[in-house]
Amino acid sequence: MPPAPLNDSDLDRLGLETPIGRIDRALKELWEGDEAKTRASLINLAIYTEDSCQLMADNELLDHVAAQHACRALLILALPEAEQLRARAWIQALCRPYQGKQIVCSEQISFVLEGGNAAQVQNIVFAHLDSDLPLVVWWQADLSKNFEERLYSRIDTLVIDSSRWADPVRQFDALLVAMNAETGGFDVRDLAWTRSHFMRTALATCFQDATACHNLAKLKNIRITHLKGQRTTALLLAVWINQRLKAELSVELIEKETGPALQGLVLEGDGVRGEVRRECDSCFVKVSSTCGENTREDLLPADVDSDAELVTELLSRFHGSTLYSSLLPFVHSMLK
Amino acid sequence: MPELENPFQETLLSRHRAAPCSVVIFGATGDLTHRKLIPAIYNIAAAGDLPPQFKVIGFARRDKTDEGFRAELEEGNRKNSRQGHNDELWESFSQCIHYHRSEFEDLEGYKALGRLLDQFDAERGTPANRLFYLAAAPEAFKPILEMIRAAGLNVGTQGKWARVVCEKPFGKDLATAQGLNAVVAATFAEKDTYRIDHYLGKETAQNIMVLRFANSIFEPNWNSRYIDHVQITCAENLGMEGGRGGYYDTAGALRDMVQNHLLQLVSLVAMEPPTDLSADSVRDEKVKVIRALRPLVGAEVVGKNVIRAQYTAGSVDGVPRVGYRQEDRVNPESNTEPYVALRLMIDTWRWQGVPFYIRVGKQLPKKATEISVHFKKPPQVPFATSAMLNNSENTLVIRIQPDEGIALRILCKQPGQAMSIQQVKMDFRYSSSFGKASPEAYERLLLDAMAGDATLFARRDEVENAWKFIDEIEKAWHKSDTPPTMHEYPAGSWGPKEADDLLRADGREWRLL
Repeated sequence: MPPAPLNDSDLDRLGLETPIGRIDRALKELWEGDEAKTRASLINLAIYTEDSCQLMADNELLDHVAAQHACRALLILALPEAEQLRARAWIQALCRPYQGKQIVCSEQISFVLEGGNAAQVQNIVFAHLDSDLPLVVWWQADLSKNFEERLYSRIDTLVIDSSRWADPVRQFDALLVAMNAETGGFDVRDLAWTRSHFMRTALATCFQDATACHNLAKLKNIRITHLKGQRTTALLLAVWINQRLKAELSVELIEKETGPALQGLVLEGDGVRGEVRRECDSCFVKVSSTCGENTREDLLPADVDSDAELVTELLSRFHGSTLYSSLLPFVHSMLK
Repeated sequence: MPELENPFQETLLSRHRAAPCSVVIFGATGDLTHRKLIPAIYNIAAAGDLPPQFKVIGFARRDKTDEGFRAELEEGNRKNSRQGHNDELWESFSQCIHYHRSEFEDLEGYKALGRLLDQFDAERGTPANRLFYLAAAPEAFKPILEMIRAAGLNVGTQGKWARVVCEKPFGKDLATAQGLNAVVAATFAEKDTYRIDHYLGKETAQNIMVLRFANSIFEPNWNSRYIDHVQITCAENLGMEGGRGGYYDTAGALRDMVQNHLLQLVSLVAMEPPTDLSADSVRDEKVKVIRALRPLVGAEVVGKNVIRAQYTAGSVDGVPRVGYRQEDRVNPESNTEPYVALRLMIDTWRWQGVPFYIRVGKQLPKKATEISVHFKKPPQVPFATSAMLNNSENTLVIRIQPDEGIALRILCKQPGQAMSIQQVKMDFRYSSSFGKASPEAYERLLLDAMAGDATLFARRDEVENAWKFIDEIEKAWHKSDTPPTMHEYPAGSWGPKEADDLLRADGREWRLL
């Protein structure tokens, strides 16, 4: 399918169009002459997409994320199917006020690469990194073609959203191959997994006290209510629960047409029940646990579901975790 | 029933999670509870870090209902909560807040408190841990602790813990601190005693250890071979507003700030690397620094190394200010110092010959707490003719508050044909780099006390050794026949000329903040 045409007024929102060979100089000029601006950067954050409809949403997302995490932002739209070979770039500063007057800014470089190949993507990414800072890449396209060894061997953290994958089995296969490669030393952060963080925290609260803990062995089934398109998110959560309990509770997934990605979680067994419920648009979840006659309720914060909030949250908890990797084989087998 | 680990918990957090507990705040109607403690607990709840079935019980003398107490706290939370106030969350959170009226000396009141805590345990279906927070006036600590013990509340039931958090000031000299410690020790084990120093809860104070021990470029240079001297400044641009002159005039800058906050900062800067990050390993190293402070004994020695001063009338930011002795609730003939500057020597291998200069004062030009580490100058042979090298040492500045961050001053060649050297500053600011606001010190410290992590709390021997050092200075000031002079400085200036002379005599000067 040919790529959706790019709208010039949209492209204007990416900032100042600049010849690729002049990007460094243009960035320097951007900072000259305005003493009130402070440039800050802790990471290189790159978003790679092959969907031109996604470009403006990603542009807004980077603006949001940079307000919390100072970074060198790279937005890359690759259109490998385009007939004509063409590369364009834009630069802009993502600024926010600090203490009322001084402005703190991150830099964003956006690329539209038409008809290019893997080598072109790599060259573009590697030539425009802020040196000595970690490279975080959110790969929104399929893990094929341009996602190849020479690229991922340089990535520190790979961000994916497995709930968006049209063919999750194939994509998890590709991910496992890359992770197991000799040069695949990157951390993986799956937004589908981050999306369930508030549910996992709330579930831990359900079974915090000793009485509830003692009844865990009586649990028999898991019921998860999720938004249509978030099946992988729900499966990751179910696999995690079974792994933590060292059990094989039966799993029931209920799909809804509207509402938040994860809407409800119920764990049930003889005389024991834990429930986490999220109402539409609420920034809290209601948690209740029942052991015999006793029922206890709590209100806990729920993360916002938007991609921007999830990426911000994910970057806030910037430490390695082997937990997600350990879930993958199980999720993979449930998907088949 | 044996204690089981919650299997859902272990993978979620990189820190200890607080177990279910009830927090009893003594002096619950006071300013600290409204301004700091309840907003801190509310923000812990907003972050989802509060343990389930949590209870706060305010213990104070005035008559109040639970509802009335909650309404007062809600008003305080709206004004002071770091993350703002959410009505839905407050509605749920406030249900865990209760009020208990009693005199501090009334044993029956404590027995009734015990019954209330038992009732909460029964509602939970399991006994909970208990944290007693002494936010009352210091003179009330002793009767409160004695009554807690007499009522049997100091011992956890069925394997649960009972802990106490003590607010500063922890004594007013060594004798009173030892007396208080004895009362605390008769009631709670040292491992269950948490002496709070909110400076240690600040992000930048915690970062000192990371900066020193996790960066290989600093630690090899962190000694007398490379460091010329260290300065610590704690400047306030306020005086005795809000009636605080009454308390302050009985304490002074040395007791109110140096004995606790500033000596804690000195120990973090000067300590040896701990063997691990357990509370006692860290505190073992910190107390060694306090013990190694060279004692300042006798009026003459104190006079040479410590400058005390009072401010006279002046202006800060263009606003006229009265002199210290004219302040509200201050004795017009007061002999208390709102400013003190000290030269400290630490007699260890690492710090031999490196002075630590400390200054703290009220009515100074701005509010700032900073540590600056001044490195020795290089041999300079190739640049011997450069005039810029006169004031050319590398300086590492750790800003504790406000605008938390780290700056490094280095020298660079100025662009051009000539070899001219210019000082430049590399500046890292927490708020620019990490958009997320740091938690308030009380949030971190309360959560640590609930989770049983005492690393950021002062241990008995730290407190007593600090008082031992401070007492000698106080003795020279107040019990000597020839006490060192009380100097003066105009409000809005950077302190008395004599404080400048203290450094000038060593060929140094205070850093300009």
